[in-house]
Amino acid sequence: MTGREYAWKRRPGWWLRNRRYLMFQLREAGGVVCALYGLVLLNMLIQLRAGESAYAAFLNLLRTPPVLYLNIFLFALVVWHALTWFMLIGKAQPIQFTRRPLPWKVVFGINVLLWLGVSGAVVYLIFGGI
Amino acid sequence: MAASDVVFRVKRYRPESGGRPTFQEYTVPYRNDMVVLDGLNYIKDHIDPTLTFRWSCRMGICGSCGADVNGQPRLTCGTYVRDVHKGAVTVEPLSNFPILKDLVVDFDDFLRKLASVTPYIVRKDWGDLKKEYVQYPEDVEAYRQQSLCINCMLCYAACPVFGSSPEFVGPAASALALRYNRDTRDEGADARLARLNTKAGVWECTFVGECSVVCPKDVDPAAAIQTLKFLATMRHMRRLLMPGSSSR
Amino acid sequence: MERTSFDIVVVGGGAAGLRAAIAAAESDPELTIALVSKVYPMRSHTVSAEGGTAAVLRDYDSFELHALDTIKGSDFLADQDAVEFFVARCPEEIIRLEHWGCPWSRDEDGRVSQRAFGGMSVKRTVYAADKVGFHILHTLFQTSMKYDRIHRFDEYFVTSLIVDGGACTGVVAMNLRGGTMVAIQGKATILATGGCGRVYEFTTNGFIKTGDGMALAYRAGVPLKDMEMVQFHPTCLPGTGILITEAARGEGGYLINKDGERYMQRYLPGKMELGPRDILSRAMVQEMKEGRAFEGPYGLYLGLDLRHLGAKKINERIPMVRELAEKYMGLDPVHEPIPVRPGQHYIMGGVSTNLKGETTLPGLYAVGETACVSINGANRLGSNSLSECLVFGTACGLAAAAFAKKKASYPRGAAAREALKREEARVFDGLLSRERAKETVAGLRVEMQQLMERDVGIFREDSALADACGMLGKMRDRFAAVGLADKDRVFNTELTAVLELDFMLDLASAIAHSAQNRRESRGAHSRTDFPQRDDANYLKHTLAFRTDGPPRIDYVPVTVTKWQPVERTY
Repeated sequence: MTGREYAWKRRPGWWLRNRRYLMFQLREAGGVVCALYGLVLLNMLIQLRAGESAYAAFLNLLRTPPVLYLNIFLFALVVWHALTWFMLIGKAQPIQFTRRPLPWKVVFGINVLLWLGVSGAVVYLIFGGI
Repeated sequence: MAASDVVFRVKRYRPESGGRPTFQEYTVPYRNDMVVLDGLNYIKDHIDPTLTFRWSCRMGICGSCGADVNGQPRLTCGTYVRDVHKGAVTVEPLSNFPILKDLVVDFDDFLRKLASVTPYIVRKDWGDLKKEYVQYPEDVEAYRQQSLCINCMLCYAACPVFGSSPEFVGPAASALALRYNRDTRDEGADARLARLNTKAGVWECTFVGECSVVCPKDVDPAAAIQTLKFLATMRHMRRLLMPGSSSR
Repeated sequence: MERTSFDIVVVGGGAAGLRAAIAAAESDPELTIALVSKVYPMRSHTVSAEGGTAAVLRDYDSFELHALDTIKGSDFLADQDAVEFFVARCPEEIIRLEHWGCPWSRDEDGRVSQRAFGGMSVKRTVYAADKVGFHILHTLFQTSMKYDRIHRFDEYFVTSLIVDGGACTGVVAMNLRGGTMVAIQGKATILATGGCGRVYEFTTNGFIKTGDGMALAYRAGVPLKDMEMVQFHPTCLPGTGILITEAARGEGGYLINKDGERYMQRYLPGKMELGPRDILSRAMVQEMKEGRAFEGPYGLYLGLDLRHLGAKKINERIPMVRELAEKYMGLDPVHEPIPVRPGQHYIMGGVSTNLKGETTLPGLYAVGETACVSINGANRLGSNSLSECLVFGTACGLAAAAFAKKKASYPRGAAAREALKREEARVFDGLLSRERAKETVAGLRVEMQQLMERDVGIFREDSALADACGMLGKMRDRFAAVGLADKDRVFNTELTAVLELDFMLDLASAIAHSAQNRRESRGAHSRTDFPQRDDANYLKHTLAFRTDGPPRIDYVPVTVTKWQPVERTY
């Protein structure tokens, strides 16, 4: 053997190389956020069980401006996370009624509409009446 | 250097000297319709015959000429210099692969992975050679896209998961596995899904999606992998819940 | 320790080589087969074939008709027994490939589709959109992975055959990645390295088509047959030489000159754009000479008009034509005609073999474009070449397998060791040590290519051919001064370029001398000084034998069975 192969090494910060890698990292970060926010909601249930004053104190904490801004930011990440997965559904599991499967954009659109519909119903239940 | 010249910055690596890869600059006469491969050939023929790179068909079908051009995996025969000319054109070997020499990388690992997904028709009964198997145009369409893979390795170069986990079966091998699973003439889907339903199979993929972006043939390997995840899971569930059932 | 002794050694991993290897592997589970290729098999130039592969599959067709079309297409230089053998076996090869998963395009009823093609009386060209070569090659390559007994030597460049006791017992090859030489022994050796289009300047062929196998056989004393028969394909993109498939005309495309006229009506009103390639290429040159061609940055060209086919048909039947035109010409054939001009594409000539692929050297076989059986004679019909690779790949693989089975023992190691030492000395100590000076490999190569383009092209005549023969002789001397800047042994593509140029100079000389000695016009070989076909004197194959000087030319008669030569009209 007269030569040596050069082993490739990945550079740190590889995800700054182009816009799509960055969007991917944000989406993944969104997944972490979803998981963490689950803990917040769990805590809300715990405070609810602990009594009215504990629950009220928790809600007051949520209403403070820094927490509000944080929520807006996290909400954006969660929405981004959801949208990117919706884009994938049509490609990962083709839905076929005719000779050709439904285009992924159509499946994406249907999912967005369903999502808005369900979210709208939830908002109505919380802020409207039954 | 004339106004109509372009600078090529090419990553060099000499296996017999060892050391680390370094950049070398060359000045190449510019033509409006030249591709990056034309520049590399000019350098080899007229300036530096030691520059080493793979190429053959020059029409984007043999898959030999993959390289990182300005940081993006591309076929050098299909990349116009006018599209990538940002002061200089930087050409490096494809990311994520061991470098043999200059722009030549070692992708034997891919061929082993390809062989591992049983990339051929599996059948019990082959019938005779008097008639073809019936396959309707929509059946051909079902796997046509995945069958277009030219094995150029751009998808592996684009995949950050493959970069950090080299055991990952990878985009092209997965797309070709799906190609055979979706072929109505094949009966080997079960074995392929079993092989892919592992950590080093499709489950390493976190859907970055860059593989489909760089694919010069629109194979869409990212979608193929997610489809395989779904199919592999369905198969797994079927085996758990209905252990006696036959599988396709 | 890597195995280096096999029953069969196949050199070249394209359609013919892979098909032969698979045929041999399937015939006997005990056989060991080496597949030696200077590139990974899926890079072989088979991959670029576009149009289709011919076979008699339907009732409106017959073996008789396919044979007649082929023989007439060959201008009666084809060996008719070989053609009869060939046409009878095409259908099963197509079906077998289909069973192996090849994605043939289908009719509405699910049966394999067939399209019209140049020189074929009926629609018998089976196709896979317009990527038939790509799909055949990948189907064969992936199917070959079924057999552990096919051992691949990827990126091994064969530099010489091993000849021992008057028989071929394997090859010496340079391991490009390891930078070493190795002797790979075989009871039988099959050459399937394709054609030598890169001896010409303007060719559809990829960079790797340098005729290595032809030269290896030539140097071992095997004659090359009909080397003057070089096919120029009418529709290549100007500048790059990229092929635009005949299928574009098969699906109804027109050829027009600058006056918008379908000029083929003046040359071949019976077949128009679907005439044989040699007639079409000559017609184009004629239109150019008479000032009716378009002018562009890369010279004169004609137009391939697909506009009347419509986007739907183009996208379904010839999508790659549209992609290539958009990418490399910057135009959409749905709206504009594609500029095209004739370019070298295929060589009918090659290593002289019989219908089992056997050469005059025992143990040595050749198949595919490397070989000349001959079924293509003086002009090949489009879509016969891939079928040829499949039919003769099978026949040759089986013949080599039978030959290997009859030999009880593997070849003597001594001959291999000697050949290995000799090649290491010639290549590493000799060639590699020469310093790069005035004479460079690229410079000499371009001169040879331009010379062939100018003097041994579509139209030939004696003084230009004589000039070419003389110049090629001088180039052979000048080659001795070609040196190298890259002194590495690992993956030295300057060294492989030098070895390829060495091969190509031999082949160019064989082509030029064969052309000069055939004083008639037949098929693709057009002599302006001898414009008529001369069956009385030239119904025979040219044989070129290598010497230290110009090749020795001899002849062997054409085998005629049922079809007496008549005037070739369409």
